[in-house]
Amino acid sequence: MSTSATETRDGGMRGALNALRHRLGLSGRGIVVAIPTLWLGLFFLIPFAVVCKIALSSAAIAQPPYLPMLKAMADGTVQITLNFGNFLFLGQDDLYLKSYISSIEIAVVSTILCLLIGYPMAYAIARAPERRRNVLLMLVILPFWTSFLLRVYAWIGILKGNGIINNALMGLGIIHEPLVMLQTNFAVYVGIVYGYLPFMILPLYANLAKLDENLLEASADLGARPLTTFLTVTLPLSLPGIIAGSMLVLIPAVGEFVIPSLLGGPGTLMIGRVLWDEFFSNRDWPMASSVAIAMLVFVVVPILILRSVEAGLVERGK
Amino acid sequence: MDSKAPTASTARPWRDASAKPFVRIRNVTKKFGEFTAVFNLSLDIYKGELFCLLGGSGCGKTTLLRMLAGFENATSGVIEIDGQDMARVPPYARPVNMMFQSYALFPHMSVEANVAYGLKRAGKSKDEIEARVAELLKLVKLEQFRTRKPDQLSGGQRQRVALARSLAPGPKLLLLDEPLGALDKKLREETQFELVKIQETLGVTFIVVTHDQEEAMSLATRIGVMHEGEIVQIGEPREVYEYPASRYVADFIGSVNMFEGVVVEDEVDHVRIRSRDAGCDIYVGHGVNCAPEQTLWCAIRPEKIRLQREKPEGDANFARGTVEEIVYLGDMSVFQVHLESGRRIRVTKANAARFEEDAISWDEAVYATWGPEAAAVLTT
Repeated sequence: MSTSATETRDGGMRGALNALRHRLGLSGRGIVVAIPTLWLGLFFLIPFAVVCKIALSSAAIAQPPYLPMLKAMADGTVQITLNFGNFLFLGQDDLYLKSYISSIEIAVVSTILCLLIGYPMAYAIARAPERRRNVLLMLVILPFWTSFLLRVYAWIGILKGNGIINNALMGLGIIHEPLVMLQTNFAVYVGIVYGYLPFMILPLYANLAKLDENLLEASADLGARPLTTFLTVTLPLSLPGIIAGSMLVLIPAVGEFVIPSLLGGPGTLMIGRVLWDEFFSNRDWPMASSVAIAMLVFVVVPILILRSVEAGLVERGK
Repeated sequence: MDSKAPTASTARPWRDASAKPFVRIRNVTKKFGEFTAVFNLSLDIYKGELFCLLGGSGCGKTTLLRMLAGFENATSGVIEIDGQDMARVPPYARPVNMMFQSYALFPHMSVEANVAYGLKRAGKSKDEIEARVAELLKLVKLEQFRTRKPDQLSGGQRQRVALARSLAPGPKLLLLDEPLGALDKKLREETQFELVKIQETLGVTFIVVTHDQEEAMSLATRIGVMHEGEIVQIGEPREVYEYPASRYVADFIGSVNMFEGVVVEDEVDHVRIRSRDAGCDIYVGHGVNCAPEQTLWCAIRPEKIRLQREKPEGDANFARGTVEEIVYLGDMSVFQVHLESGRRIRVTKANAARFEEDAISWDEAVYATWGPEAAAVLTT
């Protein structure tokens, strides 16, 4: 009763707006969901469709450097030309397959290294006295205040033949000839682990900070030594954090371009670099686009698997 | 009860000076930085007892319990359990299990796995574990919930899982931190009796921490009242209630009317205390260790005071006043009486009859009167 009274008092303006909203089939919730949907459609789906379109055309020396897909014919019909050759070529030249596999291998190994280094750090921060936690987290995030590119350049100075490490080791007389570290896969691992470690630490910290200390005490109380407590209580309960952190490291690491091209050597095959070469050196946009789409598939499939594992965990948790 | 083997509640080992305590706490102090949580505390607890540590929040009772479990180390003093010094024994090696206030059930494990956890750590065989888990789940009446996860259980069920889990390894001493705190009143009362029954069947020594004096009264063989890190009184529930050692204890346990007064007659068989608070003399029918003219406090429980319209005989132990408020609680009624001295007192009366024709009602002038044994005389 009171609502109808309000509506008449507010006058026709609100009533008209409500009527319009109803005619458009929008509810308040619908609008809230529509905004991110629109955003994703505009800035993700449409560009992706453009990339797909380019991937299915043929390269040409033109501006833009590929042939149009749609062509109006003289008789008024429209001719659609689809070129699947780029995708076929992906399978023919083993450069692509090799660099895909090598990318995934480097990404997986880096993710494992990040996990091994990041887990103890996240655990230590989560267990630190509360007033010190923010400072420690700050230190984890601090590198983000410097450009990623600059920080990778800094590693060149550290790893190169007459860089900090080699000079120090030679100065101490431990080695007599500089170690070759730059332009090797080792340098790429160093770079990726260094660059992506915060992305592993932050979700792990968020998870471990929530861990109820009473559970650890209960475990100790029931006769579990610290290592057993870690394996039977802490680790299983932090699995969602491990999965989230691993995804945040693995996915961008697969497509990483800056680190392998600055720190890696000629032997470092990574798909990001191949893509760059196709696009800028060869100026073969259709080929580059199909490489990108194939990479997306390579990355999306493992995510979907991880997601379903995670969903299963949540389900089991209930 | 009498036909059963003597339990701690019937044998009362604490009255026997030669009995060997099961838990010995000697001069234990625990400091957190500048803050002293437990100060120079000594306490003996005997085998098969259900001992309640009772006190307000921040009195150090949980800290004491955590020291027994091994989660905190005493700053100084000795804790012995079953004759063994616990100083360097980590929690996982103590013959002690704890039931946490939050229950601390492992959320990723089923009820069964939670209960089996301690048995697995003890390296029991699979058959043994299975049999023991089944036995415990039967004890706490949770057989049909074996495969559930903790968050699929109600509060009362979780409480019972926590109890089963802490009992599973067969501890010599079970520590319970506010075991009934999270339950509603009805469930609480039921669980209280179950807890006592389980304790008596298993013969395990229980130490229960609680802030709820009613819970302590109904559970405990003995109560240790804690205040600011010290034990201010140890005794059987009745002792603590009827013979409080100090004003703090009298006030903390149950409700009480406290009258300040001065000793005017100090004899071997009685004392007379002149109380301006009460507006009358308080005659106490036993000797009190005090000096003439000393200031004392008389604590009189609300149920020990009667209200009547006619003036009682004698020259002490009654005060005139007006009924200000009557609260009907079903089983009893609480009267608030404004005495002529200006003090307000609480008087309770059991509602023995369903209907009382000539009941005392609001604004009536009445005499509040009590017997010579009603007042507990307190010097501190």
